[in-house]
Amino acid sequence: MTVVEQTGAPKTTTPGRPRRRPSPLGSKWTPYLFLAPAALFILVFQVVPLIQEVYLSFTRTRLLNPTRSEWVGLDNFNRIFGDPEFHRTLLITVVYVITCVVVAIGAGLAVALLLNKKFRGRGVARALVTVPWAAPGIAVALIATWMLNAQYGIVNRFLDAVGLGVPGGAILDSSRYALPAVLATTIWQLFPFTSVVLLSALQSVPQDLNEAATVDGAGRWATFRAVTWQVIKPTVGLLALLMTIWSLRRFELIWLMTKGGPVGATETLVIDLYSQAFDSKELGSAAAIGMVGVVISLIVIIGSRLVARAVEKGDVR
Amino acid sequence: MGNKRAHFGIARATCALGLVATLLTGCGSDGDSGGGVTKLTFAASTFGDPGRGPLLTKWLDEFNQSQTKVQVSAAAVPYPTFGQTVLTQMGSGKGPDLIRFDMPEFEAASDAGLVAPLDKVIDAGKYDLLKQPDQFMVHDGVRHGVIFEASNYAMFYNADLIPTPPTTYEQFTSTAKSLTKGDVFGLAFRQTEAEEAGVWQDIFNYVYGFGGAWSDGKNLTINSPENLKGLQAFKDLYDANVIPRGADAATFRRMFAEGKVGMELNNGGYVTATRGQNAKLNFNVAPIPFPVRKQGAILAPIVINEASEGKDEAGTFIKWALEPQNQVKLQEILGASSVATTTQRSAEALKATPFLPVFDGLTETSLPQIVLGFEAKTPDIRKVVVQNVVAALQGKADLKSALDRAQQQASELVR
Repeated sequence: MTVVEQTGAPKTTTPGRPRRRPSPLGSKWTPYLFLAPAALFILVFQVVPLIQEVYLSFTRTRLLNPTRSEWVGLDNFNRIFGDPEFHRTLLITVVYVITCVVVAIGAGLAVALLLNKKFRGRGVARALVTVPWAAPGIAVALIATWMLNAQYGIVNRFLDAVGLGVPGGAILDSSRYALPAVLATTIWQLFPFTSVVLLSALQSVPQDLNEAATVDGAGRWATFRAVTWQVIKPTVGLLALLMTIWSLRRFELIWLMTKGGPVGATETLVIDLYSQAFDSKELGSAAAIGMVGVVISLIVIIGSRLVARAVEKGDVR
Repeated sequence: MGNKRAHFGIARATCALGLVATLLTGCGSDGDSGGGVTKLTFAASTFGDPGRGPLLTKWLDEFNQSQTKVQVSAAAVPYPTFGQTVLTQMGSGKGPDLIRFDMPEFEAASDAGLVAPLDKVIDAGKYDLLKQPDQFMVHDGVRHGVIFEASNYAMFYNADLIPTPPTTYEQFTSTAKSLTKGDVFGLAFRQTEAEEAGVWQDIFNYVYGFGGAWSDGKNLTINSPENLKGLQAFKDLYDANVIPRGADAATFRRMFAEGKVGMELNNGGYVTATRGQNAKLNFNVAPIPFPVRKQGAILAPIVINEASEGKDEAGTFIKWALEPQNQVKLQEILGASSVATTTQRSAEALKATPFLPVFDGLTETSLPQIVLGFEAKTPDIRKVVVQNVVAALQGKADLKSALDRAQQQASELVR
């Protein structure tokens, strides 16, 4: 008996049918290939400008002659940090960001809790609440400006009617009322986003846990703290981070409503940056202000990561 | 091996797509010439003015019909952002070919070398140019612009509300106060930081009208006693609530056209625009009744962008604009403004606008709204002055401290 030893599976080829090429999607390079366009975009439109900004912040460069720049070391930073108006800008930025984040999330949570309850017309209410978020920022700013107009604005008419009118009626031109007006408009536009996101988080809270807490005699607040809050906490953290970054970067709404005025009352970092670059035409100083913004953003991101880690470990409840 | 080939194939395709996309992006050029015709753009905020804008566009059409090799199209950039937008474009080596600037931006652009010298483009000696405004077009013997529009400031008043115009400052304030009732205001001026350039134009009349000046030609004099007096008058009117506070120029000019504002200090260029808003408005014009007969003037030069590839063709347009018949047409469009050359007002124009001689009579005492001796720094000084004056209006500082601060900040800027 002859034994034929097989050393491997025979190569089977179907006669007359061409051999299939292996799919390139299986290559180890495939993930990189898919990432390449995004990476290229980030490199060209974020990393390169950031490097340029770092360089510019150490130079004296005028907008009218951007190619003629002069290396000045830390002069731009010394100048902006030595300027009391920049300290005011930093303070206004902090007030603006914190108020936006806290109130938008607080109001969003309150609305989300309401919309999570069963009532007639809930679907319509849920749809309506998204309208401010869906409206373009420029339209919101222009409508708000008209509503706050000293001569024709409905807000002034109402405030006058209830005896709370601002002297002269010029809310956006009053260094006392301009920032609250800008904040109110910003929050009106922001809170629908937080409420929609938090509503979806609330819908993932297991009802049996809520019921168990109620059976155990826990009140509404205790149930919210022990059950609901624990589930939505990561979402709130993420929202806080996003809101902070967006609020630090918000430009069009503030610019269109007040241009940072009056007397710098609504001048945040980005408004100051724009003003330095395009009004004063000082690109170097503008870049230095931009770098301060980058550092603040990095601190916020790193801080939020540290807080998130501490929460995961259970160090923070 | 086949795997590698496939990978390289995809990589090649990606690169090719990227290259095509890049090339397509770069193809969005302004198409300066096509079929032997050079196409130029002329940027001016006046193209957007009610009343004057459409007429100016027709005037441009006349040029285009007279030419076979050059075509000029209008680019209307809104006034509040005009200087910033166009200077930013020019700083990056782009921008319109022809520009109608206001003086502060004209000086900044000339100083930065962004404006083409015109000496080789036009022979200024051939034209009967108005000497007073034209002197500001030449820097160190080099001509950078030609007057497109020169417009003196005067007092516009609603003749139905004010039968006899005030002739002293005291009458001016008492008229403003007596007219202010309900929705009607006696006076209007710009007072918000958002309208920095406009506030500068308005306070200029108060400073010069009370004998002040921003500089003596060598040093800044922002906090001089005369300036303080003039700006105190401005602030007193603001505090007296005789103006629609918070209203921007577009709003209060509409209110003036609707008969809801009694007086405003404005330039001759706005006569046509006012009629454009309300042809039936019964308004008149008189010299500003301040102690000193000195007021601002809008000098708006037309310049050629140094980065333009059609400088000669742009020169063709300027030469066409300077021809006598085109100057007359331009003046009729611009209303009570003057143009670059001496022109005669027609009998029809005088009949339609009897107060034209009031504007013409102010030419010798009108000054461009720049800081003499610091022309190129005017936009920076303007920003500092306006910010501090608005701070005083807002009650953040008393006016004297605000002007002292402005003096110090501006001096640091020009050092």
